[in-house]
Amino acid sequence: MTSGIDAKEAPVSFRPGELEVTGPGTGHLIGSRCGSCGAHYFPRRQACARCLSPEMETVPLSAEGTLYTYTVVRQSIPVFEVPYVLGYVDLPEGVRLMSQIAGCDPDDVRIGMPLVLSIEPFGEDEDGNELTGYRFRPATTEESHD
Amino acid sequence: MTDVYVLGAGMTQFGKHPDRRSDDLGADAVREAIDDAGIDARRIEAAYCGHVFQGMVTGQRILAQLGLAGLPLSNVENACSSGATAVREASLAIRAGEHDVVVAVGTEHLTSRFRGALTPDPDDPEAAVGATMPGVYAMRARRYMEETGMTREQLALIPVKNKHNASLNPLAQFRKPVTVEDVLESRPIADPLNLLDCSPVTDGAAAVVLASGEAAKQLGNGRAIRLAASALRTGVVETEPTSMTFEPLTHMTATDAYERAGIGPGDVNMAEVHDCFSIAEVLRVEGLGLFPQGKYPAAVEAGEADLGGRLPVNPSGGLLGKGHPLGATGVAQVVEIVRQLRGEGGDRQIPDAKVGLAHCRGGKAVGIEGAACTVQILVR
Ligand SMILES: [Zn+2]
Repeated sequence: MTSGIDAKEAPVSFRPGELEVTGPGTGHLIGSRCGSCGAHYFPRRQACARCLSPEMETVPLSAEGTLYTYTVVRQSIPVFEVPYVLGYVDLPEGVRLMSQIAGCDPDDVRIGMPLVLSIEPFGEDEDGNELTGYRFRPATTEESHD
Repeated sequence: MTDVYVLGAGMTQFGKHPDRRSDDLGADAVREAIDDAGIDARRIEAAYCGHVFQGMVTGQRILAQLGLAGLPLSNVENACSSGATAVREASLAIRAGEHDVVVAVGTEHLTSRFRGALTPDPDDPEAAVGATMPGVYAMRARRYMEETGMTREQLALIPVKNKHNASLNPLAQFRKPVTVEDVLESRPIADPLNLLDCSPVTDGAAAVVLASGEAAKQLGNGRAIRLAASALRTGVVETEPTSMTFEPLTHMTATDAYERAGIGPGDVNMAEVHDCFSIAEVLRVEGLGLFPQGKYPAAVEAGEADLGGRLPVNPSGGLLGKGHPLGATGVAQVVEIVRQLRGEGGDRQIPDAKVGLAHCRGGKAVGIEGAACTVQILVR
């Protein structure tokens, strides 16, 4: 978890439809669960691709996952400072999502490594106010590298 | 339903055209396609224009340059499959019996709209966390290497092959062959992909004149090539994590095209596939069933996909060598196949080619395995 957020004002999610921020450094990803067959989706969907049921329930997603694959992005658009590690993370619900991977030297990132969700500062809005987003970090690091 | 034939094909020089616009380039390509067909421009009954970033009514601006008034025209956007989708729409208008002679054009002046790494639409949640197109393909490459043992050197052989082919194509953006060392030493973009693993930013346009069987008989000059199938599919929504080392969307679209054409992967003599990145050619060729899964890198190493090989892949130079003006790409692939099947392939002619396959795949949307995919099969 990231510390040091000045919590005078409630932190603001960078994507309120996808990440609920409940306090400094706390929150969860928001997904959909099919009320008919139980399939999970991220981001939320209006109908289930497996059974076409429209009965989709909004649910918090697991904060733990494993790394399916990754890259070190060395050229990106200006709002992202390079290099950064980008990966696909598999959640136990059967959801794969893309996330930056932080708290780990790029040389130490490995396919299959266990990860945990981290709610942390993630860019700014047009007025320069800090936004809160998410990254995944190695689940087993003894020391955080902030 | 009538058959559909390609009567004429045209294509501009691919590269950087600082003094031209997308409608100038598009008009050049359409004019060449009409001249190549040897028909009066008044025979054109309808038009479809594929582009991605060229703004409203690009197709109408092209027709206005050519003095072609009053025709029904639709602009189509399907990311990197936009041009191929325009060809398909044109073919459908003919198969439906609505028109007999239709032009499909793809154009893009990308250097004036864009530089650096292409990213998904900003509304997309993956764009919001830092997705870039090279990054997405780099992740697939990493996984493919892990699962199959493909080496970085084997992957570098794809740009080496395609840029060699481009060196034989006067219309290609890059005419200089490269070595494996050049690829490995080029600037890192998204590990393990380097600059030479990525298709460039390109301006260009391509066009084809399509005709019904009846019109082809009446107007054709003996060089018409049959468009046996033109399939289009959208990626399926992922209901669980699936392998990223195989492309179900490419496979599904190809299966559709093979069935429509009554042709199997074993009948294909040449393929133009969407090699937007080196790894993309590997995934596509295997998804198309042209080479067994996990085996393409070794086949490339053995020369099987070279111009003189068992199944030449991207004889034009592909996106990596010829360039990638997004909306024009799918049409340019058809142009290359038409020229090869007619025996007009110049220094890169494939002997006795009878069946050519063109594959395009474009776009990224969260949660679906690929956005738009087209497979077209042309037969001499
Ligand atoms: Zn369901």
